[in-house]
Amino acid sequence: MKSTALIFISLLLHFVMQAQDVAVTGTVRSAKDSTLLSGVSIVTLETSKGTSSNVEGRFNLIAPVNSTITFSYLGYISQEIRVTNQTNINIYLHPGSGNELTEVVVTTALGIKKQQKTLGYSVQEVNGETMAKTKTTTALGALTGKVAGLNINNTTDFFQSPGISLRGKRPLIVIDGIPDPEADAYKINADDIESISVLKGTAAGALYGALGVNGAILYTTKKGARGKVSVEFNSSTMFQPGYTVIPEVQTIYGGGDQGKYAYVNGSGGGTEGGGWIWGPKLDQRDPSTPSGYYETTQYDSPRDPVTGQLIPTPWVSRGRNNIKHFFRTGLLSTNSVSASIGSDRGSLRMSTNHVFQKGVVPNTSLNNSSFSIGGNYRLTDKLSMDAKLTYNREYSDNYPTVGYGPPNYLYNLILWIGPDVDIRDLENYWMPGQEGLQQRNYNLSWYNNPHFIANELLNGYNKSNSFGQATFDYKVNDNFSIKFRNGFNQHSTLSDLREPKSYVAYSYISRGNYSTTYSNYFDINSDLILNYNKEISDHFKFSVTAGGANTYRRFESMYTSTDGLTIPEFYSIGNSINPLVARSTLQERRTSSLYGMLDVETLGFLYFSFTGRYDKTSTLPVKNNAYFYPSAGVSAVLSDVLNLPTAISFLKLRGSWAQVNTGFINSGNPYAHLTTYQIGTKWNNVPSLRWPNTAIDPNLVPETVMSGEYGAAIGFLNNRILLDVTYFRNKDYNNFEEIPLSEASGATYLLKNSNIYIRKGWEFMLSAYPVRNQNFKWETSINLSRVHTWLNKATDNADGYYKLVKEGQRMDRIFITDSRTPDGQAIYNSNGMQAFEPVAQYFGHRDPDWIYGIQNTFNYKNLSLSFSFDGRLGGLIYSTTNQKMWWGGTAKGTVTADRDEANAGNSTYIGPGVVVTSGSVEYDKYGNILSDTRRFEQNTTPVNYISFMQTTSGNMLNNYHYYSGTYLKMRELVFTYNLPQRWTKGFFNSASLSLIGNNLFILSKIPNVDPDAESDNLQTPSMRSIGFNINLKF
Amino acid sequence: MKQYKFLFPVLLLTALTGCKKLTDFQSNPNNPTEADPALGLTAIELNAFSNISANAALASRYLVYTQGASNAQYYGWQRESSMGYANITQVVKMEQEAAKVSKKNYRYLGKFFRAYYVVSMTQRFGDIPYSSMMKAISENDVTSAEAIRPSYDSQKDIYAGVLNDLKIASDSLSNQEAALNGDIIYNGNVEQWKRLINSFTLRILMSLSKKEADATLNIRQRFAEIVSNPARYPLLQSNADNGKLTYYDITGNQYPFFNNNSMKTDYYLDSTFVDILRTHNDPRLLVFGKPKPSSTLPPTDFDAYDGLRGSATLAYNTGKRGAGNASQIHDRYAYHATNEPSLLMSYAELQFILAEAVVRGWIAGNAETFYKEGIKASMIFSNFNNTYTTADIDKFIDQPSIALQTGAEIEQIITQKYVSMFMNTDWLPFFEQRRTGFPAFETNGGGILNNGRIPKRWMYPNSEYENNGTNVENAVRAQFSEGDNVNGAMWILQ
Repeated sequence: MKSTALIFISLLLHFVMQAQDVAVTGTVRSAKDSTLLSGVSIVTLETSKGTSSNVEGRFNLIAPVNSTITFSYLGYISQEIRVTNQTNINIYLHPGSGNELTEVVVTTALGIKKQQKTLGYSVQEVNGETMAKTKTTTALGALTGKVAGLNINNTTDFFQSPGISLRGKRPLIVIDGIPDPEADAYKINADDIESISVLKGTAAGALYGALGVNGAILYTTKKGARGKVSVEFNSSTMFQPGYTVIPEVQTIYGGGDQGKYAYVNGSGGGTEGGGWIWGPKLDQRDPSTPSGYYETTQYDSPRDPVTGQLIPTPWVSRGRNNIKHFFRTGLLSTNSVSASIGSDRGSLRMSTNHVFQKGVVPNTSLNNSSFSIGGNYRLTDKLSMDAKLTYNREYSDNYPTVGYGPPNYLYNLILWIGPDVDIRDLENYWMPGQEGLQQRNYNLSWYNNPHFIANELLNGYNKSNSFGQATFDYKVNDNFSIKFRNGFNQHSTLSDLREPKSYVAYSYISRGNYSTTYSNYFDINSDLILNYNKEISDHFKFSVTAGGANTYRRFESMYTSTDGLTIPEFYSIGNSINPLVARSTLQERRTSSLYGMLDVETLGFLYFSFTGRYDKTSTLPVKNNAYFYPSAGVSAVLSDVLNLPTAISFLKLRGSWAQVNTGFINSGNPYAHLTTYQIGTKWNNVPSLRWPNTAIDPNLVPETVMSGEYGAAIGFLNNRILLDVTYFRNKDYNNFEEIPLSEASGATYLLKNSNIYIRKGWEFMLSAYPVRNQNFKWETSINLSRVHTWLNKATDNADGYYKLVKEGQRMDRIFITDSRTPDGQAIYNSNGMQAFEPVAQYFGHRDPDWIYGIQNTFNYKNLSLSFSFDGRLGGLIYSTTNQKMWWGGTAKGTVTADRDEANAGNSTYIGPGVVVTSGSVEYDKYGNILSDTRRFEQNTTPVNYISFMQTTSGNMLNNYHYYSGTYLKMRELVFTYNLPQRWTKGFFNSASLSLIGNNLFILSKIPNVDPDAESDNLQTPSMRSIGFNINLKF
Repeated sequence: MKQYKFLFPVLLLTALTGCKKLTDFQSNPNNPTEADPALGLTAIELNAFSNISANAALASRYLVYTQGASNAQYYGWQRESSMGYANITQVVKMEQEAAKVSKKNYRYLGKFFRAYYVVSMTQRFGDIPYSSMMKAISENDVTSAEAIRPSYDSQKDIYAGVLNDLKIASDSLSNQEAALNGDIIYNGNVEQWKRLINSFTLRILMSLSKKEADATLNIRQRFAEIVSNPARYPLLQSNADNGKLTYYDITGNQYPFFNNNSMKTDYYLDSTFVDILRTHNDPRLLVFGKPKPSSTLPPTDFDAYDGLRGSATLAYNTGKRGAGNASQIHDRYAYHATNEPSLLMSYAELQFILAEAVVRGWIAGNAETFYKEGIKASMIFSNFNNTYTTADIDKFIDQPSIALQTGAEIEQIITQKYVSMFMNTDWLPFFEQRRTGFPAFETNGGGILNNGRIPKRWMYPNSEYENNGTNVENAVRAQFSEGDNVNGAMWILQ
């Protein structure tokens, strides 16, 4: 009770120490050359008050008698001094092996902290401090470019999760030692994060079992520090005032087809031109009309009161700035308060946080609130407990639908509105007299009015997350301890969709609908861990861990939808015209495990680690549902035993080998090993069932990854420069794969263990302090990584192919059916239109050759500037946005003389490429050329430019819309001013103000879209964020 | 404080006893593994009777597409992506479920559906796996080469097998057996099923008209045997017996092109089709198409209609459309939730088959009576919203130009059969044109592919080459001297 009371008092009042304080002064020097050291951090442990030495190496500090002062400085061993009555302390700090670059302690699997140098595998830790300032929508996004081998694909879309892949696969997310299989990127409060540890290899993940097969990202949240009361307020406000990348559309031609357009009734048929943007040229003078411009009937034409006919109106570029007129300035506001206290026996920390995000699309927003409380307490000398509980709520009344399709406002805004329509006029989105019944738009069969979508098609979302853990730790004696931990994740989610009457989606016009999905998720992980460690001698220490774990997961959901609404705009399930449509799902699964770990430290520089795990899972057929897998690792800190050149201050070699078995065939379906009927269509309320086309091999065994990882860490110049290199090679075999069968067998696919893949790559990290003097520090780090996957053996194909990929080839090959000559020229048919091949042909590779990130931090007195760049080199990205722009007629590149000719009814366009004049080409079934006797001549057949684009999307002019993924992005820029202590004294322990820029600019080869997401299916324009952060510590 | 030691075993016990055993999760609570065959029958019927195909209408010169260059319309198609055996999988499962509960009628219907699917595949490709198909399902064999790489059967053997299955189905279906539930076509009426199966058998026999002389198949005799014994082999007796799937205004149960925006904007009547209808002032033109926008004539005036040209370039067609000179497909196909039923086989089709059989001398009778009964049944079927009257129908049929002319009977019968199948019987009109050459499909325009030839088949799917290579290559070698291409003439066309 005492400590809880204290924390509340401290929330209200600034905590002031008094009585028995002494003023301590002194100087700090280097023990090596007696130079004065400035910027040395000097902190009293008990009060956490601190200062730093000035340019003359001097310091002043008020500290209680009998307190401990810590002196720490980069590259030097920290020193602690007990304050007695002496008021002048002169300190010499020793440089050397105590450098934090090599003494780093990292969190590894099961939350066990280990010295990085003892590890046989690659772990990279990111400090939570960096995340407190730069605000992105998710904590995960803040890792972009910072970890070698970790590829974060930041989406530009609102309320979507970034894609993550670690060494080419999706890693496990772990929060305070508890796996979060659902990996909800929005549920973690970034301000609560103490550090993030990325366990890259299979060895690292071995102890999480199959879940951790692809490595893990471990979040460690903040805890109260010993002997310290701390209250922190952190606030960021980010605006999205501009665009890093925005599609540029042509403003010369309006809607229609073949240069013709006349509105009739909005159906899109006949003279309305089928919804294309291939209509007449805008702003053309015509002296014969009242306005002096070419005129035609349009959606907003007045009607002649006598004849009832539509009156032609000027065909002018009213909608030149539709994109900018539609969007508004986005906002991301984050506020958090936390308080903590610690004593000899325990600590307590509480935090609350709120994130408000206002989307650039009108009427979209997201709220995200978190509350968490956690603490630990030593109940007796032997028994201690630790617990944390977090509640998080994500809620939105409306967030936009993304991806190519009619519910996406961009589909209607960028691709299918011509510059003849002014988006501002569409703000009146109901047809007069038909409010609630019929939207008003320039086309009623294909497209929705973007304002109608924004204000009436509403995606509601409300998710309550709770997660946390409770741990008991019992030290039997100095060597033996027992830990019991229970952790859980739970969420209840309600999402609903309000679909207004007259909303269109391809073959669908809504009669109004309301649908809801309720879901509940719960998982619990229980671990009992026994640890015994013994130091036999200075040269031989070991630690044995044995544990048992049990994991249970349950997911249930219920979807209910109306089939039409009787009363329009009345969104209630009871308001359905036809019988309700409903579905329910229940999924449960369980895994029980036993595991063990042996760590040995010998000869002072050699570290060995062995693990083994035995899993039994419910997600495989019973006869093969139990399996064992081991790992081994070694680390040798050679600089501790060898006499190396003085320039080399640290050298470590490491290697690890691991096997991990996975019994999860499909992470979304724990029953994937069972063949069942699928619910079929209900016809006039008569139900039906269908048997799936995939048969299942009754002898399924677990999927296995066998990995080897080798690395070296080298420090130069007293570890001012540290280079870490890793090479890894994973063999994935017994993969759960749907192998195609002859469909005549009755099964199109057979789910079985198949194929062998090799996944290998390199990771480089270089960190350095190029400048480090009294006032100025520059810290920099660069990382670079690559990973590719090759088909090693196609176990179910005698020709050595899996699909069209041959053994020895990479799995990310792209195949297209567009006909091309061996040197890549487009081939046309006799009619001047593009030719196609019966079997798809190799075109390129999808994966980046390299991904990289560069971080820099400069400190000058109270100022600090940090910025980071990252990006990728090579690999092709398919762009739906660009393809559709060329297809639909909004691409700037379509403004050509040939387009004018086509508008005039002339066929003048000659596709660049060749025609086959004689001979033929023969392929085998995998698309390899068997014989090629073709002779080519330049294509000379003129065709209609518009028909050509409508048929080809200008593919051959744009590398078939596969664009180079190479880019360099300025990810973030943070400029911080730490208020001098003389200003804050008496108010704050520290205070800082930062200016922040995110996503500031990009250099890339792909037009109109941001390659950051590594895919484009009609993405939101990429926004530049600019804002500020205030951080106050009491 | 020693008692804390006991805490851990207690905690562990608490954690573990709350759980279900691992073996408790070996059944999927969301989906069944066994089911009444009625549930399978509904799914099979839904698939087999869904025969509304826009591509078939493009390839059959009913319609022209303006959104892009259609391979169906320009005869540029090559490989099929799949053959359709997944449909037979459903049939085998229904038969298995029926065997478990001894409901034999489902198994006899299974024979019909097998025959139906096998025929629809073989007429697309030629030889296909038949005698050794389906073993992964019927025998649970997913390992033996014979099961997962089934050999191909000759088209002749396939037709022999199909005809036998159809005979067994018709002979064995019985009112004495357990009732058919889940039957959304005939609501369990066994007699109507027999009528459909026998009529369908006649369709198959007529599709083999080029093999009239084949001694083993004995086509003429089989045909006559069915027609001459209505007590044992009842046939469709009126439109009420049509093998049809009716649409409902329930989401997912609506006409396949209901609200479809392509159907609203990009499908226009082909001018050759408009000509066929206009020549005889066929009132069905009023329910197949809309007047062209540029026309000021009343919609009942046949000159208010004009079509696009299926073989012409896209630019020609979009240009003509933009000028308002083309008739779109009738609004009912995109704006009416139930429009008209989809047909597996109609009474009208049966009448045309009988008329052709008379002309070919397979059966006795009056070809013109069958022919005119077929036209009438078709016009009644297509009379959306009673657009035309019975008098209109009679007036049309009684025109001298409609009466069968000596020497042109087959052309007239097939042409009327063609008109009757507009957007309702899948690819059948295309296959009938392939068999008889009627009506002539126009191929002279600038957009045409395949060197102006009308394809005769589809190439086997690439998946067969990848997964059943030796067998499909042998089948190609045995059938087509020029290899697997769309112009090869399969056995039934030789």
